[in-house]
Amino acid sequence: MTEQAFRFGRARHLIGIAGLPDASPDAIGVIVLNSGMVHHVGPFRLAVDMTRRLNALGYPTLRFDFSTIGDSGASGESQTRLQQICADADDAMELLRQHAGCRRFVLVGLCSGAQNAHTVACVDDKVAGAVFMDGYAYRTIGFKIRHYLPRLFDPLRWWRRLTRGRAATERSSSEPVFSTVPSPQAVVRADFAGMLKRGMKLCLIYSGGINTYFNHPRQFRECFGSVMADPAVSTRYLKEMDHTFALVDDRKRLIDHIEAWLRRNFPVTHAGTSS
Amino acid sequence: MTMRTEAEHPFFFGDRSELFGIYHAAAPAAGKAVLLCAPLGQDQIRCHRLYRQLAHALAAEGIPALRFDYYGCGDSLGTSAEVRWDRCIRDTVTAANELRARCGIDRVVAFGARLGGNMALAAFAAARFADIVVWDPVIDGQAHVATLDAMQEALRQDTRRFIKPRPAAFADEQWLGFAVNPELRAQISGLGVGWKATPSLLLDSLPASSSHAWRAVAVDDASIKVLQPSTPWDDLARLEVAILSHPLVQTVTAHLRGAHG
Repeated sequence: MTEQAFRFGRARHLIGIAGLPDASPDAIGVIVLNSGMVHHVGPFRLAVDMTRRLNALGYPTLRFDFSTIGDSGASGESQTRLQQICADADDAMELLRQHAGCRRFVLVGLCSGAQNAHTVACVDDKVAGAVFMDGYAYRTIGFKIRHYLPRLFDPLRWWRRLTRGRAATERSSSEPVFSTVPSPQAVVRADFAGMLKRGMKLCLIYSGGINTYFNHPRQFRECFGSVMADPAVSTRYLKEMDHTFALVDDRKRLIDHIEAWLRRNFPVTHAGTSS
Repeated sequence: MTMRTEAEHPFFFGDRSELFGIYHAAAPAAGKAVLLCAPLGQDQIRCHRLYRQLAHALAAEGIPALRFDYYGCGDSLGTSAEVRWDRCIRDTVTAANELRARCGIDRVVAFGARLGGNMALAAFAAARFADIVVWDPVIDGQAHVATLDAMQEALRQDTRRFIKPRPAAFADEQWLGFAVNPELRAQISGLGVGWKATPSLLLDSLPASSSHAWRAVAVDDASIKVLQPSTPWDDLARLEVAILSHPLVQTVTAHLRGAHG
């Protein structure tokens, strides 16, 4: 297996690292998207560890930076951000098609990366699957009951709230936080239905790091309805882990899960080929 | 930006192509080139954008620059658990020679933030650096290790990050998201004031409460530039916030454009 560095894209403005194992022409290509503003190595090098593990199994991969993020520059085009995201992702898929023969792809994204993967998956038929980590979520009634009810009867929490003072509350609320720009719940639900209708396989992995708006495995179905019960959808709630998987063993378990999902849904039939 | 990025060339280099780097080409007007030595661990990720901005600024002044990742870091081969101080120094030497080969200029100046500064100082002779610029280098290795250990312990117990504190075993042999082997730990712990070179510019952005014992490393007042505001290197609440500093980019670029270095 070899990794190669590429400058690519319609304006040669994108930079990425492709892992190119010996693969059959119909191999699924796995593309890992930026998480927030972190460059293409990912939070704590998550994208590097993940792509190398998948390369060892025979999956061609690409970790790259979208326009103006990380090492990539601007395309110079007059486009909306969503248009740029879709065009950049198309450039990334074209790169893996040229160098590994891939014609179908799985997109992997965390946080804003999940949002971008969702955007592309909605419109690009080359996307056969997606891994959404801490993607879209909504505070459902179930969430509120699980979140607020225990707090209502927790005297220690009341004590802390009364003694902490306003300054601490204001300070914490002004800190920058990871979050995805909300898209209407009904729209996202319909998007998922559309993806499944096109035969896509979906893997949703949410962490305890987003417990201010997601706090139970049931919430996948509370948010998105019966599509979550579709056999093509896999959901997993990793309650004990944080949003960016800061602990080494957590990242290993996360990658284990993604690897198992890929092997189940896009199996490598023998060394260097996938079906 | 579109035109400028064409001059950035990503590539693998070194023995067995194990190291990743991005070369920022420039018309060699200044007769020198700059090797940007990254810090380690999360500091490297936090500084990534700033290093790119600095490389752009230098290239615009006719100073070619090379950013690179040590073995086990960034896009270079190897795992985080395989990072070793002595290997990082060898990689720095390799990168310096790669930069010379690419730009055709023998006079290479090194810049490094935090442990990247220490790396540049440690590699000074072997890499044949003409000069060094450092930013908040580590003066006391033992204290630095103690700080990282304390931050790792705080991270494990941080209920803003985790729903509940994680068991100690889950956080062992790690510093802020990265595996750390005992050898690297001992090597960093051994860092002290025995610098093998004197930087021509030392940028100080440590908080007022920190030790600023720069004179212990024979850096005179004229070579020290204080930057404001201070850099929150050791603030766990900002662990994943990028470190950006326009004043730093301007100061380093002006220094290297001028007579020094």
